[in-house]
Amino acid sequence: MNRNTAEVDALAADYLGFIFWEPSKRAFQGKMPVLAPNTKKIGVFVDASIKEVLQKTTEFDLDGVQLHGSESPEYCASLRQELTQPKKVESDVRLSAVSADRQAVEAPVIIKAFAVGSTFDFSILKAFEAHTDYFLFDTKGKLPGGNGAAFDWTLLQDYPSTTPFFLSGGIGPENLTNIQEFLASPAAAHCHALDLNSKFETAPGLKDTQALEAFITIIRTPNMQTYHADENGYYGEFGGAYIPEMLYPNVAELKAKYLEIMAEPSFQEEFQQLLKDYVGRPSPLYFAKRLSERYNTKIYLKREDLNHTGAHKVNNTIGQILMAKRLGKKRIIAETGAGQHGVATATVCALMGMECIVYMGEIDIARQAPNVARMKMLGATVVPALSGSRTLKDATNEAIRDWINNPIDTHYIIGSVVGPHPYPDMVARFQAVISEEIEWQLLEKEGRKNPDYVIACVGGGSNAAGAFYQYLDRPEVGIIAVEAAGKGVDSGESAATSALGKVGIIHGSKTLLMQTPDGQITEPYSISAGLDYPGVGPMHAHLFQSGRGEFISITDADAMKAGLELCELEGIIPAIESSHAFAVLEKKQFKPDDVVVINLSGRGDKDLNTYIDYFKL
Amino acid sequence: MNRIVSKLKENKKILSLYFTAGYPNLADTLPTLKQMEAADVDLVEIGLPFSDPLADGPTIQNSSTQALNNGMTTQKLFEQLAGVREHINMPLIIMGYFNPVLQYGVDAFCAQCAQIGIDGLILPDLPLEEYQEHYQPIFEKYGLANIFLITPQTSDARIRQIDAASNAFIYMVSTASVTGSKSGFGPEQTTYFKRVSDMGLKNPLIVGFGIKDQETFDTATEYTQGAIIGSACIKHLTENGPQGIDTFVKSVRP
Repeated sequence: MNRNTAEVDALAADYLGFIFWEPSKRAFQGKMPVLAPNTKKIGVFVDASIKEVLQKTTEFDLDGVQLHGSESPEYCASLRQELTQPKKVESDVRLSAVSADRQAVEAPVIIKAFAVGSTFDFSILKAFEAHTDYFLFDTKGKLPGGNGAAFDWTLLQDYPSTTPFFLSGGIGPENLTNIQEFLASPAAAHCHALDLNSKFETAPGLKDTQALEAFITIIRTPNMQTYHADENGYYGEFGGAYIPEMLYPNVAELKAKYLEIMAEPSFQEEFQQLLKDYVGRPSPLYFAKRLSERYNTKIYLKREDLNHTGAHKVNNTIGQILMAKRLGKKRIIAETGAGQHGVATATVCALMGMECIVYMGEIDIARQAPNVARMKMLGATVVPALSGSRTLKDATNEAIRDWINNPIDTHYIIGSVVGPHPYPDMVARFQAVISEEIEWQLLEKEGRKNPDYVIACVGGGSNAAGAFYQYLDRPEVGIIAVEAAGKGVDSGESAATSALGKVGIIHGSKTLLMQTPDGQITEPYSISAGLDYPGVGPMHAHLFQSGRGEFISITDADAMKAGLELCELEGIIPAIESSHAFAVLEKKQFKPDDVVVINLSGRGDKDLNTYIDYFKL
Repeated sequence: MNRIVSKLKENKKILSLYFTAGYPNLADTLPTLKQMEAADVDLVEIGLPFSDPLADGPTIQNSSTQALNNGMTTQKLFEQLAGVREHINMPLIIMGYFNPVLQYGVDAFCAQCAQIGIDGLILPDLPLEEYQEHYQPIFEKYGLANIFLITPQTSDARIRQIDAASNAFIYMVSTASVTGSKSGFGPEQTTYFKRVSDMGLKNPLIVGFGIKDQETFDTATEYTQGAIIGSACIKHLTENGPQGIDTFVKSVRP
């Protein structure tokens, strides 16, 4: 009997097992607790009768059964047949093909367990393949499972089947490194899940939730997480570090040290303290009642607009200035488009007493005068980028050139999840505080960590990376990335990179970018100065290409309308970048009980002139 | 044997010029090459223009922008160079950024280069690791030399790695800078040239960045086999077009 099932469930495991074998010290008794909707309940049986398995499956609404005894292939076949029988439907008036399909999909899965020792004969699996969904490999021991010892996983090198398997038996914190190595090896190609049990118990049936959480977090990064960067900064085919040799020493130094520095307790302490006392975190997760009524769904706003300097940008600049200090750098450079990242960088440089040079396109300097003034007041030198199109991408080029010219004492604070590895991953990790907070705030408000959807706007994509971060590898959470369509995706004046971009190299990263057929980078357009980047962070390129994220593009007109609606319904003036995320509410229908979190990445003060001109206020 | 390798076997200090294809006028590519050949230039880097050349200073950036405005494209360059080997015997290298090559298709690009008689490529933002993992077999299939850069900050270990992966010469960036931005060499450059020269690498060293006249050429080649002039050559083309390159060359290497 698991005595703290609900706490364990809160860790968002994919499956929870309930043992229906009475001799076990952990046998399940009593009532099934209410679990998170996406957790699958698995009943564990040892040579039980088919009748008993079916009875428990119905009684506890099990999503699957795990057979841990000496059940035969024929047993599995009969059980499978019984389990896939359509359940009696009370009203059979509309038993459409669709609902019949659903039932087939939702039929409980069969997991056949095997005890593996050095002499295990893998050829016996063949007979089971047609009648089981998964295999489970456990250590051969005195009991059918739960012996607490690990078997030699290298035996799986010669796994002859393509049936996905659960790896079980003695997996615990002490063999974390081994399990990571195993998961990274070809032998794990068909490893579907890890089965954790006795190694995480303080007493039979009582799980140490802290140890479990720590283990799950680590095991999910990076080996099991397909949507995070690998060690060379690749997200699928995107990312990497396509840099001239002149930048190599700086980028290599950062790559070698960033994770280590971020893990230092003194770094974390200083970072968290500044986020709390200086930035004003945690930023509220606000239930937008009137907006929810308007769209008949449950909408929460993550209020990054309430941060010091008025947007999420400062989360990253705080992190990077602390990184720069620990790397012994004396001089900070940054690029900025609309000026938000420039202001956030100038702010932290003032805080730390460091020299700050911000590159900004000559055209942007003219149209963002208030932010230029802010940066100057904060002590930064604003250098106009005079090359190319004289906007954000050229400011980025100039910052990179500065870094080439000053390779020893300078740190480049990139403002988004773009650039060469490790920047996209480092910036995403600093911004991850957004989704870390959403998790516990939602747990307080809704009793669950996972929303049904997270929505965020994407230029380079740093606020989106932060809002998605904790949810990347939880497929039950819908990820919606919103790009700026400008005057329309096909108008020739757009910044919808996922729709218009092709694979290429920009600012040291392989990603999707807007370019001519000849590979020249083109100039994007959006009414929002923070979204007109011709590329997109490699994480987002991968989310798009893999289908993990849903990408929606929003025109200037729809974004402006959505921004005004938020003012009128909730009394919040959003940044025009964030307004794009709100416009999704008109484009996509959510269910009344869906929990939808929209990342309100910045406030609209900086955009007042644009709002005034647009609405003739 | 690859023309670059043969040239480097000659017992002389190599003078190499860089120019942007299609600059100052679209049709200037071939006339410029002919002028260079006539002026006894040893090696030429033909710049394939790119919209965002982040290792270059303003002179080369502006020439690239102008060339693109003139209508230069990858395809156009290949057309202009189609019969180049009827007139030109110098080793030819195409220098550009990786994205246009990627869009053309790395295999197709290399195949075209081989067909035309291009001898090597310099792609500063294609790093060693990516090259070795994905593209080296393609370069080798078409007999193209790939030339890597090193800088004063490159560690000895990495220089040795780059030396092992190189098969023509090593492009030695003189100072920590983008192209065209430093004036004159100081003792630190000389120390760096000598330090790397003393490493006994298998590939010759050719210095680039900051070479613009006889003095800098002589300093750069004291410990190395040659030097590359880029921005100063572009300035000449801006003022004179392809005419008078021989005078420019004589001013550097009398």
